[in-house]
Parts: sequence; C-alpha cells; structure tokens
Amino acid sequence: MRSFIEYLDGKLNEGRAEIERLSAEGRKDDADFAKVSTNIYEVCKTVSQALISRPGAGVSAIGAKFEHFRASWGAALDKAKQHDDAKAVAVEEIKLAALDDVIAHFQEVKEA
Amino acid sequence: MTRENALKLFKCLSDMSRLRIVQSLTLGEMYTELLAERLELTPSTVSFHMKKLEDAGVVVSRKEQYYTVYSLNRGILEQTVFQVVTSEPDEIDEQQKREEQYRQKVIKAFFDYDKLRSIPVQRKKKLICYERIAERFEIGRVYEEKEVNEIISPIHEDYCTIRRDMISEGIFKREDGRYVRLK
Repeated sequence: MRSFIEYLDGKLNEGRAEIERLSAEGRKDDADFAKVSTNIYEVCKTVSQALISRPGAGVSAIGAKFEHFRASWGAALDKAKQHDDAKAVAVEEIKLAALDDVIAHFQEVKEA
Repeated sequence: MTRENALKLFKCLSDMSRLRIVQSLTLGEMYTELLAERLELTPSTVSFHMKKLEDAGVVVSRKEQYYTVYSLNRGILEQTVFQVVTSEPDEIDEQQKREEQYRQKVIKAFFDYDKLRSIPVQRKKKLICYERIAERFEIGRVYEEKEVNEIISPIHEDYCTIRRDMISEGIFKREDGRYVRLK
C-alpha cells in the first residue's frame, strides 16, 4: 500500500505543478479543471489512508469505495449530459478520468 | 453591442485557451474533436470553452450529422476595440437586472436541474421556485388534479404541499377539483 500512497503523492505534486503552469499561462478555467483532477487524487489518498487503518476494512473496502465513487460520478455525468450542461460534463469527465487512473494503479498494487 | 455584452466578450477572451481556439477558427470552421486534438485538450473541455465563446457571441455553431461545427462570428470580431469600449449600456433597468440575478441565484441554489432540492422557507424564494414549477403548465388550460400531481411529483416528493401553496399564492385557481394556472 505504501507504493500506492507514493503514487498518489506523485500525482498530487504533478497536479499542483500543472495548476501553477496553467495559471501562469493565463488559462484560469483549465487551471480550475486541473484543481478538480488534483482534488480527486487527494480524496482517494485520504480515503485509502483512513480505510487501511480501520479495523475490518482494508484493501477490499478501498476498492469498494472507489467503485461507489465511479457509480455516483457516472450518474452525475449522465445527468449533466441530459441537461446539456457543458461545465458539469467537463468536471464529471475529469473526475472519472482521474478515478480510472487511480483504480488502474490500485489494481496493479493489489495484484503485485 | 451593449456595454454588458462588451464586458462578457472581454471576460470570455481573457483566457489563453479560448484565444487559441479563436485563432484556430480563423483558419476555417472546425468541430470539437478536431479542436481538442489541435490544442491538446479533452473534447469536454473544448465543449466548455465553446459554450462560453458562443454565449459571448464570438462563435456560432451548426449541427452536421454527429458533429457540432463551429465558426467565428466575424460581425463581432471585426468591430474595433474603440467601438466595443464605447458601447451603450443595456436598456433593461438596473432594478430589473438585479431581480433577475437574484432569481437565477435562488433557482441555482434550490434546483438540481429539474428537481427541487427542498421547499424554501422564505416566502420570496418559495415564490421564485413555484413560478419556475408553474412554467410546466399552460396559462388558462384546465388541469385535473391527477395531471397536476403527475407534473409536480417528479420535481419534488411533497407535491401536495406545493400544489396547495400554489393555490394560496394565486398561481393556480382551483374550481371543482380542477386547476387553472393564472400567472
């Protein structure tokens, strides 16, 4: 699990650098989207650390939590698409892309 | 162009990604996926920027099979900066504008798209929400109570309270179990 948390820390650092770069380039809205993505890595790190130390929870609880996020944000994306809400569609897609990345790395760590 | 639209235009263009999109469109019309590829952005991010550009009148769009094709609105862009900065204020009076902004704020706070999150306690806010719900009904048409319930219940589970409140607020008139929207 340590390597998974290290990977999340790496993504957080990359995200922070990206936010700074985009802001410096005068791309405020893109920087805001990068904040959304970075925040997902932060949330996943917090959830993982909390669940791994909770008695009776552990690795399977982390996977279940991530799947819960995916279902919830997937539903929010469908709703945004239905209502042609361009901003919400962009935000939900960014959240899901970051989560998919997290889940893929989580699976690798789990199987290792 | 009004002064308000000029402000919207400047706000919209003060973003490097949108400026790059506008520059790309000077080469000709393009669709979202192509712009995304050129600018190394995701299609949904490009769609978000296109919506802003369209709202500010910088671009126009048309549907072509599965794609939305965008082109520049040259009428706006060919104005001089002097013409834009000397534009006249909007004719809608300030009070009316503030009321509309407040209305939009309340709707944003209490509605999750088509669903009412909760019935506001404050009467002014409640009225704004009920007026929004009333838009689902035609003025002057007679509705059976069952129809009224069927229209309101997907918006909020407590459709009975809303229906009754809408009568007491004079939005609906009830006669012989039938309802007519008055305003």
